[in-house]
Amino acid sequence: MFQLDKPLPAINEDTAPYWEGTRAGELRAQRCADCAHLRFPPSILCPRCLSEHAEWQRLSGRGKIFTYIVVHRPQHPAFFSDAPYNVAIVELEEGLRTHTAIVGCANEDLRVGMPVEVVYEKIDDEVTLPKFKPVR
Amino acid sequence: MGTDDMKLRELRDKIAIAGIGLSRFGKLPGVSAMGFALEAAKRAMEDGGVARDDIDGVLVLMPPVMGEQHGWGSRVAAYLGITPAFCATMDMGGATPIGMIQTAAMLIHAGMCRTVLCTFGCQNNPQGVIPMLFGSQFSIPYGDIGAITFMAHVGRRQMHEHGVKSEHYGAIAVAFRNHAATNPQAQKRERFTLEDHQQSRLIVDPLRLLDCCLVTDGGGACIVTSTERARDLPQPLCVVKGFGQVHSSEVIRPWDDGRGGGSEAAETAYRMAGVGPRDIQVVQLYDGFTPLVMHELSAYGFCKPDEAGPFVAAGNLELGGRLPANTAGGLLSEGHLSGFGHIAEGVRQIRGTSHSQVPGCEISMITGYGGAPHEPPPTVAYTVAILGKG
Repeated sequence: MFQLDKPLPAINEDTAPYWEGTRAGELRAQRCADCAHLRFPPSILCPRCLSEHAEWQRLSGRGKIFTYIVVHRPQHPAFFSDAPYNVAIVELEEGLRTHTAIVGCANEDLRVGMPVEVVYEKIDDEVTLPKFKPVR
Repeated sequence: MGTDDMKLRELRDKIAIAGIGLSRFGKLPGVSAMGFALEAAKRAMEDGGVARDDIDGVLVLMPPVMGEQHGWGSRVAAYLGITPAFCATMDMGGATPIGMIQTAAMLIHAGMCRTVLCTFGCQNNPQGVIPMLFGSQFSIPYGDIGAITFMAHVGRRQMHEHGVKSEHYGAIAVAFRNHAATNPQAQKRERFTLEDHQQSRLIVDPLRLLDCCLVTDGGGACIVTSTERARDLPQPLCVVKGFGQVHSSEVIRPWDDGRGGGSEAAETAYRMAGVGPRDIQVVQLYDGFTPLVMHELSAYGFCKPDEAGPFVAAGNLELGGRLPANTAGGLLSEGHLSGFGHIAEGVRQIRGTSHSQVPGCEISMITGYGGAPHEPPPTVAYTVAILGKG
């Protein structure tokens, strides 16, 4: 049968430290070395002060569900067999928001505000996707 | 920072939409995107009584399913036999048509062009083409793909923060379909009830099938010129009283700011036109998905965010309500012409020729929305224009 691979992140120089982090079991974000603004997604410059100097910082990996959806009719054929599946945006303790999936929880039980923590799903040698599970 | 309102007000009523045209549209897999763009352009010239050789500016919307097509605008102009003094392909999705009116106004005001054609065509087939993926590293790997997933997230937040219910979304969908029922060109004309909406299948929870716009092969166009020249043309005058545009990073704005993303676009348009939300007699809201309509109602000052659900449930968007909206059916029911349907209907309301005419309409608003929700932070453009009799 016709089978399509799921699209994986096209990692580049700007984002490589983030994906190195997930491989090592760490969720990372950049902190501006000049104005201390914490940012995600990765960028070569700070959207607040335009500084090009930043340091990668380890995040707590804890947060709350900001929003979630359940996809019944995927827009990409590679996800057809997964449906219905959830996608959430988690607001991390540090204030950043990230797209992810919630594991270890039935879609019907998902709630905005639910406390969650990061888990890592290894896809291949390069890509490890951060997902989140409810904090029991 | 911000707009120079004194200069903007000089433009009030000085620019007119002289011609509107829609191609055939619906499920028409055999026609090319170019074919639709040309057909719509021809219809707009015929409608406005504008000679091809009087057009010296051409703006063309980049169709979403074509990917990269360098020089698309110039090719459309060439097929129309036009040698433009200014030509551009514009790429803000559904915010583009009103953005084109803004651009045309600048070109005319600056003396770079006299009459500007704005056109668009889209062919979604052949079916089975994998949606273009833009290389997002942070959402697409989770299957969060396309405008619909983003709008479902927006809907979830509206439900959480403002008490919006699925039935409220249903009231929007029912109202727009009722309007489409009187529009002979509309792609979907069969009326449905709130119960039908609630029974329609979930596409991306919380959005149901009837919360989603149609998929449309087709095109639209309009012709923009000076009010002075438009007075000599056959159609009743429809002037541009005001317009505004703003680009917003949606990860933050519509959810954290009480007014929501896009409000500056309307505020600029109101200031330029010298009117406020209470003066708007009919509006064509960009309606890719019902939560977007809900969002626009508060962002553009028609009601408070917590009031938007009850506002639509009370039938206020229906003809005869406080704010008749999408009187041709909108993207939800007329068809997805990326906002050109909205322009055409906004102009018809001023001319007095709509199939769902608001009696004595002097001021009509149209809105646009589009951009790149596929790559965090989702970034979108909002456009607003206010039309009048002049």
